[in-house]
Amino acid sequence: MENKSLMKKITGSREALLAVILILMIVIVTIINPAFFTPKSISNLVKNNAVTMVMALGMLCVMLVGGIDISITSTLALAGMAIGMLIKYEYISSTVLAFLIAIAIGIACGLVVGLVISRADVPPIIATMGFMYVYRAMAYLISNGGEWASASALGTFKDFGTSKFLGLNCVVWVVIVCYVIFFFFMKWTRTGRKIYAVGSNPEAAEVSGINVRNIKLMVYTIMGCLAGLAGALQVAVYASAMPNMQKGGEMDVIAACVIGGVSMSGGRGSVVGALLGALILATIAKALPLIPFFDQLWLNTIKGILILVVVVMNVILQRTADNNALKRREM
Amino acid sequence: MAGKSGRSINNVPENPIKHMLLSWEGILVVLFIAVNIFCIWFSEFYNVSSVLRQMPVYLAEVFLMLTMAFILVLGEIDISVGSIVCLSATISCIVCNSGAPFIIVILTALAVGTVCGAINGLILTNFPELPPMIVTLATQIIFRGIAEIVLGSGGSISLSNTAGFKAIAGKVGKVPYILFLVLILGVIAAIILGKSTFGRKVYAIGTNRVTAHYSGIHVQKIRFIIYTVMGTISGLCALFIVSSSYGANTTTGEGFEMDAIAMAVFGGISSTGGKGNIAGGIIAAFIIVCLRIGLGQRNVHSQVILLIIGLLLVLAVALPNIVSQIQKAAKVKKS
Repeated sequence: MENKSLMKKITGSREALLAVILILMIVIVTIINPAFFTPKSISNLVKNNAVTMVMALGMLCVMLVGGIDISITSTLALAGMAIGMLIKYEYISSTVLAFLIAIAIGIACGLVVGLVISRADVPPIIATMGFMYVYRAMAYLISNGGEWASASALGTFKDFGTSKFLGLNCVVWVVIVCYVIFFFFMKWTRTGRKIYAVGSNPEAAEVSGINVRNIKLMVYTIMGCLAGLAGALQVAVYASAMPNMQKGGEMDVIAACVIGGVSMSGGRGSVVGALLGALILATIAKALPLIPFFDQLWLNTIKGILILVVVVMNVILQRTADNNALKRREM
Repeated sequence: MAGKSGRSINNVPENPIKHMLLSWEGILVVLFIAVNIFCIWFSEFYNVSSVLRQMPVYLAEVFLMLTMAFILVLGEIDISVGSIVCLSATISCIVCNSGAPFIIVILTALAVGTVCGAINGLILTNFPELPPMIVTLATQIIFRGIAEIVLGSGGSISLSNTAGFKAIAGKVGKVPYILFLVLILGVIAAIILGKSTFGRKVYAIGTNRVTAHYSGIHVQKIRFIIYTVMGTISGLCALFIVSSSYGANTTTGEGFEMDAIAMAVFGGISSTGGKGNIAGGIIAAFIIVCLRIGLGQRNVHSQVILLIIGLLLVLAVALPNIVSQIQKAAKVKKS
């Protein structure tokens, strides 16, 4: 078994396979349209998908414990709208303070969701569906019934989306920092490993002394925190805050995770996978208009088919792996 | 009452009236009456005829709840129904505009829904390892995507010939046809789920899939049938949606899946499977419909109504769990 061929290594590891697919896609699109692969356009790609990419990290944690959170874009809207209105009516002007407020609102929202799920045993899909309505409605209410905070009202805050630090866009830096932190957090900290333990076998985790309820509470709080951060990023990148921003975007986040190999039943998935999944989705969305014949209208259909193909492929690979293992045992 | 041997299953409550009132359906009936009293107090326009007039738009979603109940009892979920409604509405509008007789339009809508449902069913039964949430998430995006392609860059279509759709939006006296249809289908669904062998099998699968499989129930066949019928009913819902909006666009049916799930769960049908009945779902659906009409009449923003529904949903599931946790804690203390 030691001398695995390179081919087998690539097909064996999900992340490697995804990376190959992503590179192939980029190469093909670059051949068709060289303007696709320039540092500026890549930076723009990350900037425009920063919201999905950041929230994919939280969704990874939630899905690792076998849950799901569809309230995140409502949390995003609430946090984004709150700082939008605060800046518009000149209660605050500091960018850092705005980010902190957005994150605090996100944490509060996530904490409530987490409490309902972990303490009252409400199924995650139902609880987050309820809070999806509640937080979105709260975003409407604080916007005085649908008022926008447009670019002119946002003062210096919107400059965050265009300013640069060390030659890279600040939004891109935020995404990079989040991913680096989570990469270490999930792989090398005790809490990160506990999340995996709870996801792969909750009973075993409970028996081995992990407080499953607290871990669940924590992942939803992390999710809320990232959704709040994403809310601030959304307002900064698009230089506007409106109550219905990113409506339906939670499905993109879930899709990114699923494509990246995060299992819905928990315990399986990695930060790199989530990153690749989000990048693949972003690349398709960006590349589609560049390719003749396909137009923007086809985007959703292709996205859906891609998700379906990925999950079905996964099952087929798993089945062949199981079969092979059985055969080996029979020998 | 259980005998000393513990083998008796004849669990007749001592006080049937008290038992009925304390059951979830009993609470829902009380809540239904309370909501109606509140609406009459809140809005001077709230009366039988105004409710009947405004009802059809909201009732179309109750169809979805009826079949969603089966899926929830299985312990599964289908979030593609809103997109099926969109695709089915789009295609039936196109067929209607091409001058086809209305019966063909109806059949097209139902057929499109059935095919979409069958696609869901085929994928889910061929790959039973896949979580339904992910598969229907993908088909949700695909079905709406196809509707977007069909609708083209304009993104909407309006009916040029509304005669047929006006006919199905008709009324007997003051009562719209759709209310009869909802009640008839509701009774049928309640009988199938509550009284037939098929229904018992659905509960068996929802309670324990492996046991159900070993006791000879064709789990995959039943799942396929339910997902296909869910599609057909979505087609029916699409017909009534078109009959109230005389057209379709890319956002038709958006969020219907959540509304249908909310109604069912509020009605006591557990999303973890094996629990609940259609009667609860229907009462819950009418509570939500009445609340929406009553608050809507006084121009309460639709988002506020959604806020109330969201809170009701979370409380409806959380409160019984909290109560039972407290009871358990009290028992432990006593012993």
